[in-house]
Amino acid sequence: MKLSKIRQSHYLLPDNMTKKSFLDTLGQEFVVKQVENTFEKMAILDSFEWALYEHRILAVRHDNQRISLWFDEEDILDPDEAHTIEDINARTQFWWQLAESPERDILKKLLDLRAMYPVYEGLLRTEQFNLMDNDGKILVFCQLITISRPENSRKAVFRMARLIPITGYKAQSKQASELIKSLGGFMPKLNPIDSLLSALGVTPKPFNIKPRLDLDPQMSSREAASVIISIMIDKQRQTEPGIIKDIDTEFLHHYRVALRMVRAAVAQLKEVFPPQDVIELKQRFGALASETNHLRDLDVFILDKERYMALLPPSLRDGLLPMFNDFEQSRTAEVRRIARWLASRAYKQEITELEDRFKNGYSALETHWSEQPIINLAVTKIQKRYKKIQKAAAKITHDTPDQDIHDIRIDCKKLRYLLYFFGNLFNKKQVKIAGRHLKALQDHLGIFNDLSVQAEFLENYLDEIEHKSKKDIMLIASLGGLISSLHTMQLQERERCIDALAVFSNKENQRLFKQTFVLEQGSKKEKGGRK
Amino acid sequence: MKVIASYSIKGGVGKTAASVNLAYASARAGNETLLIDLDPQGASSFYFRIGPGKKQKKGFFFNQKNRLLKNIRGSNYKRLDILPANLSFRNFDIMLSSMSKSKKRLKEMLALLEDEYDLVILDCPPNINLLSENVFNAADLILVPVIPTTLSERTYEQLVRFFDNNSYKKKKLRPFFSMAQSNNKLHRQTIKEMESRHPNFMKTIIEFSLEIERMGVHRDPVLAYANKKSAAQAYRKLFNEVVSSLK
Repeated sequence: MKLSKIRQSHYLLPDNMTKKSFLDTLGQEFVVKQVENTFEKMAILDSFEWALYEHRILAVRHDNQRISLWFDEEDILDPDEAHTIEDINARTQFWWQLAESPERDILKKLLDLRAMYPVYEGLLRTEQFNLMDNDGKILVFCQLITISRPENSRKAVFRMARLIPITGYKAQSKQASELIKSLGGFMPKLNPIDSLLSALGVTPKPFNIKPRLDLDPQMSSREAASVIISIMIDKQRQTEPGIIKDIDTEFLHHYRVALRMVRAAVAQLKEVFPPQDVIELKQRFGALASETNHLRDLDVFILDKERYMALLPPSLRDGLLPMFNDFEQSRTAEVRRIARWLASRAYKQEITELEDRFKNGYSALETHWSEQPIINLAVTKIQKRYKKIQKAAAKITHDTPDQDIHDIRIDCKKLRYLLYFFGNLFNKKQVKIAGRHLKALQDHLGIFNDLSVQAEFLENYLDEIEHKSKKDIMLIASLGGLISSLHTMQLQERERCIDALAVFSNKENQRLFKQTFVLEQGSKKEKGGRK
Repeated sequence: MKVIASYSIKGGVGKTAASVNLAYASARAGNETLLIDLDPQGASSFYFRIGPGKKQKKGFFFNQKNRLLKNIRGSNYKRLDILPANLSFRNFDIMLSSMSKSKKRLKEMLALLEDEYDLVILDCPPNINLLSENVFNAADLILVPVIPTTLSERTYEQLVRFFDNNSYKKKKLRPFFSMAQSNNKLHRQTIKEMESRHPNFMKTIIEFSLEIERMGVHRDPVLAYANKKSAAQAYRKLFNEVVSSLK
């Protein structure tokens, strides 16, 4: 019966309980028959962002051979309820390495470009028992699940009994639960995944690259800027181990995003720092970013390999393979170089020094803006940036040079960062709407920009080829095809950008920005805060 | 929710064996399955080691959801429940005849279970009476085991005539050969003749087998204790054929 599934219950058991006492106790009322006993290496998998944990999904790799997924937290570690993905090995990390299945589709959505890797490794023993009457009729299903550390299989770190009642045998299942309680079993207060992780000593730290800032509107502008920069440097630093181990390409991507936000804060809030400091900070953070440019370009190309191939007629596709082989080789070398750089004493010294400067408030001479409330600076900056975009948009025609559109893209990005930093100082609902409109525009501008960056990258690559062999001639033909495809796509995207810009700068959005990013609401919020 | 019946006017033709194994196959395939043992002899319940339900007050069976659910027992297998035979089922006919809309009571009762099960299998007693007519109305598909002998053939044709005379939907009827012996010439001949006369026969033939006879000793479905044997394979095939006919 579909109803009956809900009533299963689990109990945490004392680590020192012996299997004999477990069997003896249940044997007081039931004929106990063990039907399953598996013992295997296990690893709990998740991504750096804890995407599975955040969706209340548990993924366990068994013996490096298969992955079990539980989508319903109540069922975790129940072999009968697991969704299984077979044919994997210890190096399987990405959804695209799995065979096609509905489970893969779910992981694709949750992980995207992220790798999943062990967040805990241990040994898992799963025992299933039938609690029966003398006639051999099963009255309650029982599972005993034990996890121990690899180095000490005898000592349990997690021990759980699960009772699965059978329709029509309610009294017997109650009886079984009383027996389990008499062994010291208790129902955990936390929900199942959390109680498992906490027993294993694993603390999920979901990572999100977007800063969740809740600044006090009256905070001094310099202090606010320091808080923002500190938070972003911290995020940047969290990605470093993943880049060094080359777990997935998102670590470097996020490293760069965090760094870009730091640089945006320095450049856009430059009034709060002495001018010579701004020049110095820009230079130092910029130097960090440019170290990683080449690797990121390679990553983007390699990730898009399938898409590039699809842009070409089948006869030209193979022509591109030597180029991708080249990219893969360069990437391997570049990853190694970046890893060495991040681990180097020079880098560590540089980043710690920068970090320390913002950690406890930035000390330098006062500037005109440094002691003013951040809300004032936020309003000025956001209004100015929006008006700039609006003015530029008004001038756009079909003959406008591409460079002007790129400039607008940069302004939009600056506006986006301002909303990240200061969004919470204003009416949240309205900020969300404004953010959505901006996002729609940025999506088109982003594609437009990517297409031109990619075409340029390919043109540079083309220049470097010494065309002697037939293989190279094929590659040149393929590259020609690809560059012209990208160009056509860019022209189409340009039109979409112009349309989206018109929407973003229309009367309605002008009013929205004017009404949302104002001082009054900020001061209202401040009053509320004081109560 | 779909309802299938395992029904025959004759006894001892393999109705219960089919019910029990199809129910098991259905649960294994992931369906929440209920086997209703309508036969007062309670053979289905016996195979699943479930005693007869408590004796019920007259008339309960067909109208009260809670009391109905209370009598359902989980089997030893996940997703497979049994409504055990009840000795008072003996008086079904008398009980039913005193009710209005007496031929649709079973259908109404099963409607109460709509949210709980994907598939309900009715293991029916061997005769043709008011309860059978309730089954004809309630089932989406009626499986009729037929032993390929002249006598069984006549009984099956009797059933077809009954459907004709009482305007039941004949396309619900899906006979299959049961306890067939491929080395018996007469069986082979009867199968050939009947298949040409009745194109609604299921493709799957359940051969006579000692594995099936041993169900009484094991008290389990063949599929559970002899999963790889040909008898188990035949029931699995029959189940797949049932599933595709229900679509």
